[in-house]
Amino acid sequence: MKARNSLQQKRSLLLLLATVALIAAVWSWLFFATPSQPSVDQRVHDIASQLRCPVCQGESVADAPSGLALQMRGIIRQQVLAGKSDSEIIQYFSSRYGEGNIVWVPQWQGFTLLAWLVPIGLLLAGFLFLFLVVRDWRKDPGLAPAGLARPQPAAGGANSASLSEEDAELERYRAQLEQELASDDPLFSRSIKEAN
Amino acid sequence: MYFSDLGIIALILALGFALYTVIASIIGAMRSAPPLVASAKRSLLAVTFFLLLASGALVVSFLTHDFGVNYVAEHSSSSMSWYFVTAAFYGGQEGSLLYWAFVLSLFSALFVITSKRAPAALVPYVMATLMGIESFFLFMLATLSNPFVRSAVAPKDGAGLNPLLMDPGMLVHPPMLLMGYMSFSLPFAFAVAALITGRLNAEWLRSIRRWMLAAWTLQTAGLLLGAWWAYHVLGWGGYWSWDPVENAALLPWLTATAFLHSTMVQERRGMLKVWNLSLVIACFALSIFGTFEVRSGLISSVHSFAYSDIGAYFFGFLAVIILFSSALFFFRLPALRAEQEFDSIVSREGVFLLNNLLLIGITFATLWGTLFPLISAAFRGQTMTMGPPFYNQVIAPMIVLLVLAMGIGPLLAWRRTSLSALWRNISVPAILAALCALILPLLGVTDVAANIGFTVCTFTGGAILYEIWRGARVRHRHGESYPKAVYMLFQRYRQRYGGYIVHLGLVFLVAGIIGSHYFQQQKDATLKPGQDMSVAGYRFTYLGNIDEKASDKETISSQVQVWRDGQLQGYLYPGRVIYATYPDQPTSAIEIKTFVATDVYVYLADWQGAAQATIRVFINPLVPFVWWGGLLMILGGILCWWPARRRLASAVRTRETKKPESVVEKPAEVADGGVIA
Repeated sequence: MKARNSLQQKRSLLLLLATVALIAAVWSWLFFATPSQPSVDQRVHDIASQLRCPVCQGESVADAPSGLALQMRGIIRQQVLAGKSDSEIIQYFSSRYGEGNIVWVPQWQGFTLLAWLVPIGLLLAGFLFLFLVVRDWRKDPGLAPAGLARPQPAAGGANSASLSEEDAELERYRAQLEQELASDDPLFSRSIKEAN
Repeated sequence: MYFSDLGIIALILALGFALYTVIASIIGAMRSAPPLVASAKRSLLAVTFFLLLASGALVVSFLTHDFGVNYVAEHSSSSMSWYFVTAAFYGGQEGSLLYWAFVLSLFSALFVITSKRAPAALVPYVMATLMGIESFFLFMLATLSNPFVRSAVAPKDGAGLNPLLMDPGMLVHPPMLLMGYMSFSLPFAFAVAALITGRLNAEWLRSIRRWMLAAWTLQTAGLLLGAWWAYHVLGWGGYWSWDPVENAALLPWLTATAFLHSTMVQERRGMLKVWNLSLVIACFALSIFGTFEVRSGLISSVHSFAYSDIGAYFFGFLAVIILFSSALFFFRLPALRAEQEFDSIVSREGVFLLNNLLLIGITFATLWGTLFPLISAAFRGQTMTMGPPFYNQVIAPMIVLLVLAMGIGPLLAWRRTSLSALWRNISVPAILAALCALILPLLGVTDVAANIGFTVCTFTGGAILYEIWRGARVRHRHGESYPKAVYMLFQRYRQRYGGYIVHLGLVFLVAGIIGSHYFQQQKDATLKPGQDMSVAGYRFTYLGNIDEKASDKETISSQVQVWRDGQLQGYLYPGRVIYATYPDQPTSAIEIKTFVATDVYVYLADWQGAAQATIRVFINPLVPFVWWGGLLMILGGILCWWPARRRLASAVRTRETKKPESVVEKPAEVADGGVIA
């Protein structure tokens, strides 16, 4: 019984790992297989979507229907064909219209770098904080007698002691699922008793 | 004597009763004098009555076209239809503040009427907090932002409503959104009451969660209607543009979502009390920020239809709220210790922590992007506005992680999960996800980001459906047929399965967003009759323009045929409406035709006489998913909220009567469950 269970567990873990590997393979294949050289149309659209249409309200140069936006898309196309880089073209427009008026995606340089770094930095800090807090909670001996009393089940443990521990965990899990479903449902819990 | 005079009198009386409620309920609670608390309750109902009277007076002023009232003259005209005239009530700042105050008083009255269900010690403080907020709004309404101010000479006709607001969406979207903002007052009042009395028990938690769930559902509906309105009116082919006003409405929704999840941890494990209280306070502060940001002109936005100088007062109010609640908070900090320890990160509470971190991350990134123009103006002297690409790049990865966590979370048990059971339960949705990842490139979806998004959505959708199926199977084993088992699951555990419906809705919504973001196609063309244009397999033949003149407006619409696979699919009439009161602001009448899950969105960009039109076509795949998903989320929210009220009442009653019995029974149930498994 135990041997069959552990075999099943191993099989389902392997199945899961294989599935994850398959997904990762598809993603990396897509990532590397897509053409690295975008077409002119794509580049024009990319650059135009980083610029704000100066005469419209809340629309990018790529989306705005106005004549000025059309003209600007034309200028972008000319400059792309002339071999200028994306940041050079954006620089060209921001020097003509003023950076604050026309660029609506902060560039990865100078002061506007802050716009990117602050949220990303805070999220990472949040992860770190969460990690520390959770570690703290689990280590606090005054608060966590139960947590310490029970040894941690090793994820890939092969010896029989941890296997029986896992079996017990599995039983407890099943019990928990049924109990969660049966809680505050007298009819259902009665049917469990009857089934017994 | 005009109706507007009646309105002013009602406002002042309401203010008086609101102040009395604050004082009477606080003194009544401190001296434990029930008669005083009872009089506070009656006085609160009087506030509701007088606000009803004031709102009625404004509606009557609008409907009788009393242009002597400035507000009526500025926001309506005699040619408008009666429903838009009524909706003009909240078309400007004064009226929307009145609406806010009115709905708050309605909800407060609802609270008073149902106050037997709330913990008795908290009731006076909840009333005091609610009426404190109400007093601020009534003070603003009575002095600086009074909708009933009359001019010496009444103009002959009003200026009319902004044409963008003359849309059916206007009838439902602003009242819903303002109601959503307002409804965060109730959880806040419960939080303040609990901090003052120091009673943060399970009963309190259930009350506050119920109100927060109601607020969340209202705000979801408000956001969805806003997106729908933008999609159908503004003509840029999208439904969300990360505009400051939209962001402001999203912020309290995000913190409320975080709260609804983290309170489950508090309910089950007695942890995160400090965190939950801060979330409630943040929700309310953000909703006040949202209410006033629209009006203050602090940050420029497409949606601000009214500017004014009351921003400073709102800012002061916001500061008072934050200072007051922080002070209370630190005063009670010793009472907020966690009751239980954290066992394992691989547990449901572990995923809830991740969920909260991500939601707060999204909230902060959104707030940061919204406020960045102010920050850059302060440091560099020029405002840098953040466009959608910024938000998309920062927030999209977090949303994908959130959806992933949403799929894994329900598969984990509380405290700690057996890893082997986890592998088994995850396998099924993981295989579905792998199939999705494999099939999409074969269907021509080569974008890796879109593939990641869809795969994660498939995983989570699969996990939710699998979880429902698992529950149904357990019941089926006890002798119920599968359809009945599913029905009984929803019937018995509405909170749990209502939550799954919300999650499923979000999966649909995210899939819709990914589809319309990555696969939108767009084309503009200036056409003469008989000419056509093709986009993404659809062909559009332009036939000519139709001009209709009415007394108050002129409508120009182009007749366009839609063809697909050589077959005529129908006629579309994208048009423009020019209102006589706003001749230079033609609004658009956009035509949207849905083919299965793809929207064909046709917009008349420009026209010349009767025989030339510039047509702009968007092909928006999966946008209908956004609406279906949103509807599912609202449905799930209602499911979670609705029975909670009845079940709570009955649960409290049974606990009172059958307390010893249930204590004895519980271990037996556990043993039963253990044996059967």
